[in-house]
Amino acid sequence: MLSLKIDGNDIQIEKGATILAAAEKAGIRIPTLCYLKKISPTGACRICVVEVQGCTEPMTACNTPAIEGMVVTTQSEKLARIRRQVVELLLVNHPLDCPVCDAAGECDLQESCVENGVVTQPFSAEDLGLESIESWPLIQQVPSRCILCEKCVKVCHEVVGASALVVRDCGEKAFIDTHDGAPLSCEFCGNCVEACPTGTLISKPFKHSARPWALSQVPSVCSTCGCQCQIDYGVMGGKVMRVTSQDGVTRNDGNLCIGGYFGHDAIHAPSRLSAPTVAGEVVTWQRALDEVSSALRTLTDSEGGAAVAGLSSPQLSNEENYLFQKLFRVALGSNNIDSEARFGALRTLQTLQRTLGLHGASNRIESIALAEAVLVFGADVTAEAPAVDWQIGLACRKNDAKLVVATMRRTKLSAQANSRLGYRPGSEVALANALCRLILDEGLADQSFIDRFCENPDELSSHLAALDLDLAVSVTGLSLEALRDAARLLGQASSVALVFGADLIKSEGAEAKIAALSNLAMITGALHGEAGGLFPLDEKPNTQGLLDQGVYPEALPGYHPYGSSRAPFEKAWNVSLPEGGLDATGILEGIEAGTIKALYLAGTNPLVSFPQSARWASALKKLDLLVVQDLYDSPLTRMAHVVLPASSGAEKSGTLTSLDHRINSLNAAIAPLGDSRSDFHILAHLYGMLRPAETPCMESLRKEMKSLCGLYADTAFSISGQWLKQMYSPEAKSLEYAPVDQSELVQNDLELLSGKILYHFGTTTTHSKACLTVFPAGAVAVSPEDAEKMGLSPRQNVRLSSSEGAIDAPVGICDSLPQGLLFAPHHFEGVAVQGLMPAGSNRVAVQLSKI
Amino acid sequence: MTQVIFSSLGKNIVDQRQGGEIDLASLKLKLPETYQDAGKIGAFIGWDGLLVLDRGVNVVALAAEYIKRVQEKYCCAKCTPGKKGTRVLQETLRRIVGGQGREEDLGTIEALGELLKSCKCTLCMTSVKPILDSVKHFRDDYMACIRGQSKAQPARDYRDKLTAPCMDRCPAHIDIPAYVEHIKDYRYDESLSAIRRNMPIPAVCGRVCPHPCESACRRALVDEPISIMVLKRVASDHEWMHQKQPPMIPGTAKNKTVAVVGAGPAGLTCAYYLALEGYKVTIFEAMSEPGGTVAVGIPDYRQPRHLLRRDAEIIEALGVEIRYNTRLGTDVSLKELKVQFDGVFVGVGAHKSKPMGVEGEDAGYDGFSKGGIDYLRAVALGQSVETGKRVVVVGGGNTAIDCVRVALREGAEESILIYRRTRKEMPAEPYEVDDADEEGVRFEFLVNPTRIVAENGKVVGLELVKMILGEPDDSGRRRPQPDPGSEFILPCDMVIPAIGQEPDLGFLDQGDLGVQTTRWNTIVAKEGILMTDCEGVFAGGDCEIGPMTVVAAVGGGRRAARTMDRWLSEGKTYLDDEDSMEDLFCALKVFDADEEVGILGGLHREHQPKVSGAERAKNYDEIELAMSESQAVREAQRCLRCYRVGMVALS
Repeated sequence: MLSLKIDGNDIQIEKGATILAAAEKAGIRIPTLCYLKKISPTGACRICVVEVQGCTEPMTACNTPAIEGMVVTTQSEKLARIRRQVVELLLVNHPLDCPVCDAAGECDLQESCVENGVVTQPFSAEDLGLESIESWPLIQQVPSRCILCEKCVKVCHEVVGASALVVRDCGEKAFIDTHDGAPLSCEFCGNCVEACPTGTLISKPFKHSARPWALSQVPSVCSTCGCQCQIDYGVMGGKVMRVTSQDGVTRNDGNLCIGGYFGHDAIHAPSRLSAPTVAGEVVTWQRALDEVSSALRTLTDSEGGAAVAGLSSPQLSNEENYLFQKLFRVALGSNNIDSEARFGALRTLQTLQRTLGLHGASNRIESIALAEAVLVFGADVTAEAPAVDWQIGLACRKNDAKLVVATMRRTKLSAQANSRLGYRPGSEVALANALCRLILDEGLADQSFIDRFCENPDELSSHLAALDLDLAVSVTGLSLEALRDAARLLGQASSVALVFGADLIKSEGAEAKIAALSNLAMITGALHGEAGGLFPLDEKPNTQGLLDQGVYPEALPGYHPYGSSRAPFEKAWNVSLPEGGLDATGILEGIEAGTIKALYLAGTNPLVSFPQSARWASALKKLDLLVVQDLYDSPLTRMAHVVLPASSGAEKSGTLTSLDHRINSLNAAIAPLGDSRSDFHILAHLYGMLRPAETPCMESLRKEMKSLCGLYADTAFSISGQWLKQMYSPEAKSLEYAPVDQSELVQNDLELLSGKILYHFGTTTTHSKACLTVFPAGAVAVSPEDAEKMGLSPRQNVRLSSSEGAIDAPVGICDSLPQGLLFAPHHFEGVAVQGLMPAGSNRVAVQLSKI
Repeated sequence: MTQVIFSSLGKNIVDQRQGGEIDLASLKLKLPETYQDAGKIGAFIGWDGLLVLDRGVNVVALAAEYIKRVQEKYCCAKCTPGKKGTRVLQETLRRIVGGQGREEDLGTIEALGELLKSCKCTLCMTSVKPILDSVKHFRDDYMACIRGQSKAQPARDYRDKLTAPCMDRCPAHIDIPAYVEHIKDYRYDESLSAIRRNMPIPAVCGRVCPHPCESACRRALVDEPISIMVLKRVASDHEWMHQKQPPMIPGTAKNKTVAVVGAGPAGLTCAYYLALEGYKVTIFEAMSEPGGTVAVGIPDYRQPRHLLRRDAEIIEALGVEIRYNTRLGTDVSLKELKVQFDGVFVGVGAHKSKPMGVEGEDAGYDGFSKGGIDYLRAVALGQSVETGKRVVVVGGGNTAIDCVRVALREGAEESILIYRRTRKEMPAEPYEVDDADEEGVRFEFLVNPTRIVAENGKVVGLELVKMILGEPDDSGRRRPQPDPGSEFILPCDMVIPAIGQEPDLGFLDQGDLGVQTTRWNTIVAKEGILMTDCEGVFAGGDCEIGPMTVVAAVGGGRRAARTMDRWLSEGKTYLDDEDSMEDLFCALKVFDADEEVGILGGLHREHQPKVSGAERAKNYDEIELAMSESQAVREAQRCLRCYRVGMVALS
């Protein structure tokens, strides 16, 4: 700590803090314009000048560190003159087009004029008339309004890590541009637009649509991915006009991604379902729900609960998912419930529950930024969890963390890595085991943690000692030197964040791979302390909440084993719960076998999202009753007997649980569109029809979740509108080292991997005009080597066929793929790549032929 | 003698428009009379003021052109007063020159001059100084333009360049403020690219450069200089530690070939810039390693060889071929190269030890090393060299320090440095002397060797005489004189003289190509151009300037590459504007040690962590550990970005 005096006030502040920070602490306001807390100080505008005793020239408060004994004056005639003249200069040739400028009303330059008393213009120069840049997707650049504060450039580089923007040219001609002058091609997160203090960078979709002061701001949570950033819906006339987030007060520090910032136009997409239908005819809600309830009742009466099944969705809130499982288990007597988590997150959960007693991430994502080393394993973090990407960027860029990226294809983070382990697809266990062994060999394991917490340390040593490193080298295709370098980076760090994702979690044999990572987490000491942690990613918004609510046959809400913990639930619910229960695969087989006759789909689309989607498509045709509760018109709704239009996250209230166990509140910003209803409303109505005595309400369910299931009982309400669950702290000798071994690799000439891309979120954003502007349709990405070998050119249509089926897709050339590996996003109906995937896999051998 | 008409440089106003007899020399200003062959220098305008040498130069037009160039060519636009202020100044002066000025405009200029003091960096801030000087001292000329009484005629031509005190002082003229600022902005790749524009071996110059730039750092005038050298290492290490591919690509292939002799800093640099221009370059290297003196004269604990090799490999990746174990004069002659290649660059370094001139030196005793550089080379190349148990090294320079420290690592039980003056006068870098001290080296000051003592052909001791410091010599250091009768014998089993080295130019004896040498046994090359008296043969580095620094060799290698490119493509050698202005600034001097920088200091520089003395003296692992990037960013934030623009008017 050091002491200084500002305007006569004695202030104590930590070493390294700036004059501005010290003034802020003392409640002294120094005007600023280019200052933005989350980026390094720029000192461009010079408005924050202050006088420092002993200096002949004024100093800028934003980037001058406080020094012991400093005496600072923030207000004087000289300073007022400098500030006024600086703003006057900023206004030289600044177009006074405020009436049509999007920033008007929230423009920092306007504010500065008022604050610094700028009412005249003594300076003039010929206007160079810089042209507006219209060619960028989603974002427009109006250089004449730019004050060169560099906030956009720095947010893009320092916070997002996209580094797409630069200051180009000199003097008055200087403007914000892309590196090569080509149209912007970036992550389209919109954080540059948000950071812009004037109307220089503007959102094309929002442009000229509303005045900021006419918008009502509704704080809520973004429901496009599991990060669950805090947002404000900007609402006018029952419509979400824009989504923003506030710096400093939100967990995401005001940062959003394309899904949050631009993707919200999916809310008002023309493809939204507006009224219930039965057999394709629009009907009243009463009629539709009568149809559903009576058909289900008839079926369960005649054939028992086992004849019906339901698949829920991570799009649904915690309360909705809780109600979903209760509806099936209690009102319909069926435990045939599951979700797409079966193909990914549930595998992580069940493995980590067994080895580490974990139900997901071990720490908050902010802990990643504090880690000394980060290992990314089998994940495109930027696509799957953008807010996690920002934390990794923060760790590496600002906090000196080392980054190891182990992925079979290059991702954005690969470029920032100290070590890139481009392993051969399928060799994850061999790689993780080799890292464990090498860390141990180098004497860099977190031995005290292992000694204290590992229940089978002998097994750990003997299993790793027997590991054949030569085999690991040949299986992974990596050199021993590369493996050792990575092991050192991870081993030498006193805290490690281990982040893994879909390429691994959704692959064949994922359980063994996750177990190997659980071992690695233990050996690197990732499982304790404020810094680092183990972070499984899932791309969907409320997967954690869905699993917490027990929407899978093996567990009741709160992870109570279905087989052994039914009694208290039966007592509370006053039913006897059905035996058994089928998972998604069982349900599919049941439908095919004709034993399951009715299927209820709540916010999920197996035709696009599930592996074997083609098999699902033909199975669904066999059903006596297919109920689809969803937002958008699709081939799936067209197959359904009853369609129930649900409402989006902007139209409902409830809670979501983020991938790092924060419970966030959704606040309805607008009324349900058309005749749609929230999933809760629909499920509660149906539940009431099936069990007339007990129509559920939100409040009573929340109480039940807490008291009966122990769910979120340990949460504390935080001031930021989130409830924080207690973080993981294992008991002594409770963690299991799971000896897993690499299975034999099947070598295929050509394999297809499916997964998420940055610009789309599930199928929802395929209804967003903005997201489609950037990435309009499905395609299969091919490495340049393969393209050359097979004579493929971009946009050419090809047929891909696997053991499961065949699809046609246009080709894209992508240099981040290794030879022999194709990649296709799994968001698009048009290129239903999941139809090629076998059960439980995201990677399959394919043949490619030109058509 | 160039007469000064007006000068506001160096805080003095000299106004001889009404007559006077003050010339440049008496103002201690060094400026060439002519600029290239483009004409006489009529005026200089820059950060420090205005210098008019020719009455015909119109100062209003000069000021208008200067601020126009500042705004349009150099202003980074990253602060409001700079970006907008210089634009308004440019426009105001343009109007005045065009005859549309008003008297109030002079007030606007003065007001902006005051406001530009709050600029972010010194580029625009210093550019107002000569403008204000012109308004103050040439007001009549301004008023004449404003009133339409005269037209402000531009000079025949103007030449300008950006500089900074550090950049000027650096022999390779690296754009230091640019690379430091990129680090401040977390842009290490861009930083490295800025460095590579002037210096292709950043892993080396980020570690072992004597960093003269830091002695011209304005930050030192308020607290401590920026750690310029180490920031270069940070940028270079970032690329290496992230296994990134350097972005350079060779230029379009030209059908001319160049032979470079010596893969030391000068040779590698010359080859690098010629390869970027598209020449096919072949380097002939006498040793089995790249790096020249850096490889075999600087031990690995200061300059890890693998990083030196990496820098060389990056240059090879541009298509440069290095033929190792090929010694000029033995394996290939200069004449052959002259015939086989279109151009030749000689950068053979200075690898011959100077004798001490004491008795027994030539006797061939066991335990007597020919010289420090020979000892270091033998150790570095893994040749069989027996290091004694008690080693005495004679000399006070960096080589001597390296010898005593290497001797410890080679198993010496005692390693003693003999120097004829005191520690204070040692030419070695003080931190290296401290490092040697920490490692357990014994120092004997104020003694000089007089005789090697041997028994049965083996060194058993060194006779020393005590020295007394007398009057200061030319270098300002007090001259040591022997104290007769004070001789004594220091028992030892090895003596290494490390009192200096010189180039070995034996290869010049074969066939007369006309290359001239100096009495210091260095090659004569035309100043600035670096071509020897043999057409097409260029020289640079230690063999041309004598044993100097890595960065001086880099500067020479780069300049030679530039002039050789012109010679190869146009058949003539000349300096372009960048070269000429670089040299002009060097002569004029950019750093002013007496400047009062009106900002607050108190921010200490960041230091690299260091392995402690006891631990490190047993091996060759690098002693200085990498500074963390967050430290580097903090350090870069201390930079004052002392850019400035100078311009000459030609008449």
